[in-house]
Amino acid sequence: MGSKTPVPDTAQRRKLAAGPLSSGDKWFFRSTSIAAYFSFLLVALILIFLFSQAFPILQSQGIDFVLGQEWLPEKDPMVLQLAPMLWGSLVIAFIGVLIATPMSISLAYLIQFMLPTKLAKVATTLVDLLAALPSVILGLWGLIVFTPVAAGWGEILNRFLGFIPIFAVEDTENAFRSSPWIAGWIVAVMIVPIITSVTREIFSQIDKDLINGALALGGSKLSTFRRVIFPTSSSGVIGGVLLGLGRALGETVAIFYVLNLVMKINWYSLLESKGGAVASWILARFGEASPAEKQGLMAAGLVLFVITLVVNFLANVIVKRAQPWGKNS
Amino acid sequence: MANFIQNQPWKRNSVSRRVQILLAIVVPLPLVSLVALLSGLDPTMTFITLFLPLQLFAAGLVGYLSYGKRGFGDAALLFITTFLSLFVLILLMSVLWSVVTEGFKALSPQFIYQNNKYVDQTTSLEFGGVGHAILGTLLLILMTTLAAVPLGFAMAIYLTQSQSKARNLVRTFTQAISGLPSVVSGLFILAIIEATGIGRSGLTGALALFPLMLPTVARVAEESLKLVPVDLRYAALALGSPNYRAFFRVILPAAKTGLLTAVLLGLARIVGETAPLLLTLNPSSATNLNPFDGGMMALPTYVYNYLASYYDTSQARAWGASLVLLILVAILFGTARIIGRQKSLKSKGKK
Repeated sequence: MGSKTPVPDTAQRRKLAAGPLSSGDKWFFRSTSIAAYFSFLLVALILIFLFSQAFPILQSQGIDFVLGQEWLPEKDPMVLQLAPMLWGSLVIAFIGVLIATPMSISLAYLIQFMLPTKLAKVATTLVDLLAALPSVILGLWGLIVFTPVAAGWGEILNRFLGFIPIFAVEDTENAFRSSPWIAGWIVAVMIVPIITSVTREIFSQIDKDLINGALALGGSKLSTFRRVIFPTSSSGVIGGVLLGLGRALGETVAIFYVLNLVMKINWYSLLESKGGAVASWILARFGEASPAEKQGLMAAGLVLFVITLVVNFLANVIVKRAQPWGKNS
Repeated sequence: MANFIQNQPWKRNSVSRRVQILLAIVVPLPLVSLVALLSGLDPTMTFITLFLPLQLFAAGLVGYLSYGKRGFGDAALLFITTFLSLFVLILLMSVLWSVVTEGFKALSPQFIYQNNKYVDQTTSLEFGGVGHAILGTLLLILMTTLAAVPLGFAMAIYLTQSQSKARNLVRTFTQAISGLPSVVSGLFILAIIEATGIGRSGLTGALALFPLMLPTVARVAEESLKLVPVDLRYAALALGSPNYRAFFRVILPAAKTGLLTAVLLGLARIVGETAPLLLTLNPSSATNLNPFDGGMMALPTYVYNYLASYYDTSQARAWGASLVLLILVAILFGTARIIGRQKSLKSKGKK
C-alpha cells in the first residue's frame, strides 16, 4: 500500500457563483440590506441617545434611581428615584394580565371552536379593530364611563373581601377611584384584543384531527380542552400574554387619566387611590420639568425600554417555539 | 357520506333536550330579577351571588341529564367561556358605544372643518372644531409614511428575497422595535432635540411616530411577500431575469394588495398615538400646514388637551374628536380588511 497511486486528472474545484451577477442585482441587494441593517442602527440610536441624556442622572443617583422613593427635583442636590412608579407599573400590568388572560382564552375558544364561521369572522374583525383602538380614547372612556362602574366593583370587593390585605382600604371615603385596580382594568381592556388574536391564531393551528380524535375516543369537551387544546397551545398563549404584558408596561395616556400617581410605594393596596406607572409619570412630570429633571425622565424611559425589551424578547422566543404544527415549521 | 359528515347528525338534539336547553337559558334571568325586585338587593350583588350560580346550576343540570357526569363539565366549560367572552365583549362594545353616542352630540359640519383659534374651554360647541387637528394628523402620518413605508418594504424584501445569514437577527431587532413603548419613542426624539438643538415642529412629531410604524409595516409586508409562491420567483430567475427584475415584475404585482394592507395597518397603528406627540410637538389651536416650523395639533393630542378639563363643552369636544379619530381608524382598518378579503377570494378562485 505504500506506493502512490497516480491521481486522475480531475477538474479543479471552483467556487460556486451564487452571488448577484448583474450590477442591478448588486444595487438591489445592497440597498435592501442597508435598510435591514437600519433596524440595528435604530435600536442602537435609541439606546445611545437616551443613555447620553440619562447618564448624568444615572451617575449621580446610582442604584437608588430604581430603588428609592423620593422625587425632589427642586432639592439641592437633586434626588430622583423611581421605585414607586416601577413597582406600580408592575402591579398594574400584573392585574391587567391576570384579568385579561382568562377572558382572552375564553374569547379565543368561543371564536375558534364554538361560534359558526360567519359570526366568528365578525368577532375576529371586531377584536382586531379593537387592538388598534387609540389609548387616548380608552383613557377618555375609562375616566368618564368606566371609573364609576369599576369603583363600584371595588367597593363590593372591599365590603366582602376587605379582610384580605390587597382589598383593604384605610378610608372608604377617599378610596376606589383612581386606584391601581381601575388602571389594571383599563390595561386589561387594552390587551385583551392582543392576547385574544395571538391565542386564536395558535388555536387555529392545532391539528383538527387531534381534537376530533380526542372527541371520538369518548373525551368530553372539557377533557379535550384540558388534555389536548391547552397543553399544545399553552406556550403560545404564554407568549401572547407576555406580548400583552409588554404593551401594558408601556401604556401611558390611558393610565395617566385613571390613576392618581403618588411617589410613595403602594405595595399591595389595590383599592387605595394611589399608585404609579413609569410611562405616565414621564408624561405627568414632563410639562414643568427643568432640563435636569428631563434627563431624569429620559433615564426613566431608558429603564422602561430595557424592561420591555426583555419582556418582548422572551415573548417572541416563546411564541416562535410554540408552533408544533405551525404553518411556518 | 360527505353530506352525512356535514350535517353532523350526532350533534342534533331531541325535542325534549332542546326544550331543556331553552329553559336553562331563559329561566334564571327573570327568576333572579323577580327576587331582586322583591327584596330590593343591589343589582350587581344579585347578579354575582344569585344569577351566576343559578345559571351555572341550570346549565350543569341540562348537561347532567344529557350526558351524565361528563355533561356537567362540558356545561361548566360552555358557561364559563360564554360568560367571560360576553363580559369582555360588553366592555369593548361599551367603549365603542360611548364614543359613538357621546361623540355624535358634538359632531356637526363646522366641527369637522373649523379650527380652534378663538375657542376656550367654555366656548359653546357651535364654534370651533377639529379641522386643524384632522389636517395635522393627516400631515403627520403622511410624513411618517413617506419615511417608514419604503424602509419597511426594503426590510421585508431583504427578509424574503436575500439568502443572508443575518436575517434572523434583523427579524429579532425589528421585533424589539415593535415592543418600544410609545412614550420612549417620544423621549428618543426629545433626546435628539436636546442634543442637536433643532426646534420642535411637525417634523419632530412625525419622527417620533416613525419607530412605531416601521416594525408594523415591515412585519406585515414580510408576511404578504412570503405568501407569493416561491416557484414564481424561481421560474423568473431560471428564465434569466436578475433578482431585482424578478421582484419588480413578478413578485411585486402578486403581493401588491398585501403591501397595501401593510401600509394601512401601519397607519392604523400610529394614527392614535398620543404620548410621542405630546413630548415632541407643540400644540396649536390654529391651522398650521408647515411641518418645519411652529406647533401643530393632531386628533389624539386634541382629545388629550380637552379631556383634562371639567367643563362640559370641553369634554364634549374630546368625545367628538374621539369619534372622528375612531372613524379614521375604522376607515383605515376597514379598507385593509376589504383589500385583504379580495386577495383571499382571488387566491381561492385560482385554486
